[in-house]
Amino acid sequence: MFQIEIHKLTYHYPGTDNASLKDVSLKIPKGEFLGIIGANNSGKSTFCCALSGIVPHLYHGRTQGSIKVDGTDISTMGIGQIARNVGMVMQDPKNQLSGFHYTVFEEIAFSLENQGMKRDEIIEQVKRVLLMTGLQNLAERSPYQLSGGQQQRLVFAAAIASEPSILVLDEPTTFLDPMGAKEVFKLLHRLNKQGVTIVIAEQRLELIAEYADRVIALDNGKVVLDGTPQETLTSPALEMIGLDWTRYTQVALLAEEKGLWQDGQPLSVSFFDTVQGMGEK
Amino acid sequence: MQPRTSHPTLFIEKETWLHRIHPFNKLCYILFIGVSVYVLPGKWLTDSVFLLINLGILITAGIFKPSLTFLWKTMLPLILFMVPIHGTLYPENHTVLISFPWFNVYQEGLLFAFNTLLQLLIILIASLIFVFTIHPADLISTISQTAGSPTLGYLIGSPLLLLPAMRERIVAIQSAQRSRGLDTQGSFLKRCYGLLPLLIPLVLGSLIEIEQRSVALELRGFKSKQTKTFVRTVPDSMVQKRVRQLMLALTICIIGYRVVG
Repeated sequence: MFQIEIHKLTYHYPGTDNASLKDVSLKIPKGEFLGIIGANNSGKSTFCCALSGIVPHLYHGRTQGSIKVDGTDISTMGIGQIARNVGMVMQDPKNQLSGFHYTVFEEIAFSLENQGMKRDEIIEQVKRVLLMTGLQNLAERSPYQLSGGQQQRLVFAAAIASEPSILVLDEPTTFLDPMGAKEVFKLLHRLNKQGVTIVIAEQRLELIAEYADRVIALDNGKVVLDGTPQETLTSPALEMIGLDWTRYTQVALLAEEKGLWQDGQPLSVSFFDTVQGMGEK
Repeated sequence: MQPRTSHPTLFIEKETWLHRIHPFNKLCYILFIGVSVYVLPGKWLTDSVFLLINLGILITAGIFKPSLTFLWKTMLPLILFMVPIHGTLYPENHTVLISFPWFNVYQEGLLFAFNTLLQLLIILIASLIFVFTIHPADLISTISQTAGSPTLGYLIGSPLLLLPAMRERIVAIQSAQRSRGLDTQGSFLKRCYGLLPLLIPLVLGSLIEIEQRSVALELRGFKSKQTKTFVRTVPDSMVQKRVRQLMLALTICIIGYRVVG
């Protein structure tokens, strides 16, 4: 049984003729770490919005096809109901803050308050999430006193506080430095090991290569590549959809050209694979 | 005691007696003051007493200085418009105070203008007491818990959040436009010319931000029908409850006095 089943999903934003998602069909098993890559306007954000129910519940428009989460069509569920299962983190952290909470602690507690969780349980859960996201020392600060990276971590903490079984992230590392981005991926990895399904749209291909179980590439609203990170990220089609290979793949290609790559060894997408691919040579 | 932190709102972080007063008491105070200054007899005396009370509150709560800046900026344009207009054109003008070749300045008009300005000043101070000493989080939380409607709380509290955010945005847009060569200073005409490139991104940006925030709130179950719990509680007491009941009763009595009398 797949946790998410997308069947022939096509979506037009209101007032547009060109579909942002075209005939997308995908099955995502529980506990998968799925990376979504693609150039700008390829449909990554719309795909994330569709998984979290923003499309079509909040952004109306023309939708065909279906998305089922745990066997239930999300078009029949309310957005609040979907939010219990699917957590969402968007690009700009500022616009995801509620705007009316005094402290980081309260901001994280917000979703849990809305679920009617008991006060004591909320406090315990928020403390746990603060520790997990490394925000424990900032708990009493105003969300607006945090740096961009810290705010993104806060938004992330708020999304995981209600323990969703699926976490959808739309380029969550855009405002983070390389170390901050790596931290986010490590945290996602930890959550994924606990059974949370991760769906992340991301431009940092090397991080996707390191952490994702599977990578799909979108181009003009269509899924054009679908496979393991190695398969997708070393595909020659990548260049045609406006993406570049990772620097490890580029090193591997160069090594292959110069006869330094071991025979039969697939092109690499990570540092470790690159070292292995070079072998004794 | 819950932590006090800065936030892009008009709220001034302090630990004073006024900050500890329940938001509803401050709302009742605005209502009471608003009704009293317009309805109670003995205009000058009543208004002066209310002004003194308000000033006393501002000083003892340590928010006099920031209030002064706000009051000055708000009242000055009103003074500049109202005093000359009423001083010369008020329909009940007949006692000439100063005579010029083409027009006269009358006592009745000036008195009317100053009294109106005084009333506005009193209400403005009462409003400043409210916005300077209540964090929107407390206001929204109190309304949500009392009325059982977070949407209503957000609706009432959001202006307190939007104004400072908009001010920040204006500064950012202004800097961006200036860096691209737009002259936003100088003569009145130049400023008017510079207004459009400021307004369009301001309005569009605000609309986008509101849309994104509402999406984010929805995703976090803000509008769920579930009975909500609250981590933040605003302290209240029997004395405070009695005080606001008294203020409400007085307000009703004053309105009744006006209707009957």
